[in-house]
Amino acid sequence: MYRWKIHRFYLKRLSRQYSQVALQNEYSETPEYPPIMDNSLQARKSRKRESLFEKIKKLDTVEEKQIALNMPRYYGWQCVMLHEDTIPYNAMPMIKCYTRSHFIPVENLPNAYADTAVAAGEISKEVKTYIEDAIVMETDGLERDFILSNEKPINVVKEDTIARSIVKQVNRIISNHLGEKVPHLLSAQVDYDPRHEAFWFVGGVDIPTSVFKWRKKYSWYKNRLDENVDRPVQYLGSPFVALRSRLPLKPLIPYSEAENPDFKVPKFSFGPQNVGYFSRFRYGTNIPGFWPGDYDEFGFLSYHGRGHILARNNYGPDDNIEALHCQAMKSSFGWLLAQSNYQGFTTYNDLTYPLITQTVITNGQLWSFYAYQLNTVVMHNENMDLNPKHNICFGTKPLKLYETIEDGKVKGLNEEVLKMLIQFYLNTPEEREHDLKPYLGKEDQVVADIVDDNKRCWLEDTYKHLVSNRPRHFLPPETYLWEKIYKIQHNTRFHEARRRPFELDINPFQRRLNEHLPPYIPKVLRPYPRSKKKFETTYYPDV
Amino acid sequence: MKLTQVLNRQHIGFMFKKHWLVQGKRVPIDTGVEDYLKAKGIPVEDALEFVSEKPKPHGRVNVVGYYEQPLPLDENHPEYKEKPCYTLKSTNVLLEGISQAQVLTKTIIAENKLPPKIEELAEIAAPKAIHENVKKAILSANIFDCEQKKLPKIKDPERPAYNFRRILGITDRRRNEILTNRLLQLIEKSSDTEVTQTKYVLNNVKSQATFDKDDELFQFHEVSNILVTSNRPVKHDTEKNIPFVEIPNLYPIKHTVTLSQEHFYNESSKYPIKTSVAMKHPHTTWLHFNNTEVSNIYETPVTPMQILGRSLTHAFGVATSYAKQLYGEDVKDLPEPVHINCIETDGQRFHFGVLELNTLNVDGNEGTKNVWYCKNDMKMYDSSCYLSGIPVLENYNPEVYGYINAFYNC
Repeated sequence: MYRWKIHRFYLKRLSRQYSQVALQNEYSETPEYPPIMDNSLQARKSRKRESLFEKIKKLDTVEEKQIALNMPRYYGWQCVMLHEDTIPYNAMPMIKCYTRSHFIPVENLPNAYADTAVAAGEISKEVKTYIEDAIVMETDGLERDFILSNEKPINVVKEDTIARSIVKQVNRIISNHLGEKVPHLLSAQVDYDPRHEAFWFVGGVDIPTSVFKWRKKYSWYKNRLDENVDRPVQYLGSPFVALRSRLPLKPLIPYSEAENPDFKVPKFSFGPQNVGYFSRFRYGTNIPGFWPGDYDEFGFLSYHGRGHILARNNYGPDDNIEALHCQAMKSSFGWLLAQSNYQGFTTYNDLTYPLITQTVITNGQLWSFYAYQLNTVVMHNENMDLNPKHNICFGTKPLKLYETIEDGKVKGLNEEVLKMLIQFYLNTPEEREHDLKPYLGKEDQVVADIVDDNKRCWLEDTYKHLVSNRPRHFLPPETYLWEKIYKIQHNTRFHEARRRPFELDINPFQRRLNEHLPPYIPKVLRPYPRSKKKFETTYYPDV
Repeated sequence: MKLTQVLNRQHIGFMFKKHWLVQGKRVPIDTGVEDYLKAKGIPVEDALEFVSEKPKPHGRVNVVGYYEQPLPLDENHPEYKEKPCYTLKSTNVLLEGISQAQVLTKTIIAENKLPPKIEELAEIAAPKAIHENVKKAILSANIFDCEQKKLPKIKDPERPAYNFRRILGITDRRRNEILTNRLLQLIEKSSDTEVTQTKYVLNNVKSQATFDKDDELFQFHEVSNILVTSNRPVKHDTEKNIPFVEIPNLYPIKHTVTLSQEHFYNESSKYPIKTSVAMKHPHTTWLHFNNTEVSNIYETPVTPMQILGRSLTHAFGVATSYAKQLYGEDVKDLPEPVHINCIETDGQRFHFGVLELNTLNVDGNEGTKNVWYCKNDMKMYDSSCYLSGIPVLENYNPEVYGYINAFYNC
């Protein structure tokens, strides 16, 4: 009823109510033809997609872009869930492809860190004893209770708890020691257990058999039975400690090197469920540990735990090291992607400059160091094959910070490891010469900047509601099993009226985010004297 | 045709319900196979003979979880004691607040008075950049952190049955954790390295103080949300000639009121740091007041007086456990007073206190007494939240940072 009314309303408006005089200068001397366009199906689809990307690019604020990413799905995307600490056997090829990362195993930190080596060596000598004391204190000198749960084995909980407190101490000691000498540490914000989430699309993944079978039924799919569809991917993680600064770090390698064919990442076209990553319906979220509008927007350093290694099926030390590399690539890419989203880029609009972060994975004794350069975030559809840019991840093996703890003393502290860590801290963020937010508005960059009160409040509420991923009031639509048997597989109830979505050829999951009635305004609350406006205004981005 | 048949065809629920009923009434049809087989000379056996045996009962499977299950709380529990112990947990508050805390800990109070050294240090103005960072910390704790958990239900006393929409946001626990840790980080980063190297910062450590008062056993379970320790005990020069608030008479209330009586307890006191550690001396203990976690045992809301009482019992609990580790379990009058600083906050108001622990003999109201110097109810800011979509911080008060800094550096 409601839809029909709107329809009638618009028809009235759109139908021409007057006659128009023909233009005088309709003719030009040379004929002006419209551009010749490829009218194949692929080209038309591609043009339609491009127009969507262009619309998202033109949106002013970060939050609107995030809502726009979720516009096509009322019930959320069916996302491949990449949790930080679930790493199945042999996941490396998939993670490399999905994060488009070229992994370079190194013994020492990359060349960009060469000039801080000497200074870091001296500082490591100065802080050595304090770090030793802290390690002894945290492992031996305290009586602590572990928070037990049925979700994690006790050895994982213990290792992560001790690692978390050692990391806090190490960060505290190094920051305090360098605080006076290194000004960027003084203003850096330190987050404990922040929320890191990232969302992007991956193209070039094979379709499941069910989709293949379904396509076979339709003639128009004849020539493109195995055409790929994008997979939405969602990363969820939470480091122990993350440091953020106002300025981005310097690139590890020049940005032009991103297109170097040596860094090409092999394509992984098998379905993610074959590796052990499964999917869930949810809205895509990009959260680097703070809401848009915070001052310190660029990641500097993050510390992650490795307790999950203890709970993995053991396929040998090499597999465990690969798992750590996977964790590092996932978490570094995830954090940087979320940061880049706050700069106005999305999975559809590529970065115009590289972003860098430093990642440490540790259990207190074993430390692995990773430096990650994000060059590109676009890998949807054909871009999986065509995008020449790749991301770079440098990573070390797990290195022992100390050998053992005997009689309340740390034995064999490895200064080289400490030096690498301090080099991470000495890496100074720098002002960039280019525009950091080319795709955000000049005036309004976040929702809080919007002048219109109603629009600002509505967008703020909607954005927070969307990213909270709280369950809907009504259950999502479902085809019941009995319907599948008695209605779909066997046509036994032909006398019934066809009312269910699958009987009307409707896919309820194709519903768009704004396909709902806006909140109703009760008559008493409508503006005086008489207002015909029954429903509140919504401000969904027009994409 | 019966109506049921139509209904069963049309209604899936009825159909399944009736299915068993209908099928259960079926009479097996004699197919004539038995006679046929007999005629052929093939023996026919009754199927029921083979199922006559009762299935074996299986024993209960002992499910081994991720960790050892706690023992049942009965009289065979190793920690069971006949004598009840009056226990104060960090989630409980005293009924009479600060007055009851005074009686329990035998403490006199110097109100609005902190040791002179702290007052001196608090007056040193911090640079502007530091205050900018403090503001960032407040905004981060109240606005920019991304936690989205269920906040307490909103109730309107006028319409108690009305269900408001449940709001997701930063819980008070997380807000306090972020704010206090950020403040401490800031102070440490801006302090001299020599000072920070003599200190150590611990998060969420538990102490347990057991003591007798008037032949009854008391135990305080305390959680220091942040415990700053140092390599030597903190000392304060204190004034004796100031008007103290003497220990009040609680009559008709007894000082044990609203303390829960426990029968499962460990009689010893516990200080979380081992004696072998050099930086074991407690310096400042930070206590969070999380509104959703701390409550009266009755449903009345927690009063400001009760919040202040919490500071005193907390400081006393930590200091006692430390003193007992230092001088032994049976020590009464301490050879040297133990000082400890305490900061309690609910994320907005700060309550500062310094406890001078002179005695652990808390019987009666006479003899040596402990002293509590305090400065309460300092507001760091008026409000910090999203105000119609815009992050707001109203009326920042720079004075509070001065006191926190002074507490760290004293």
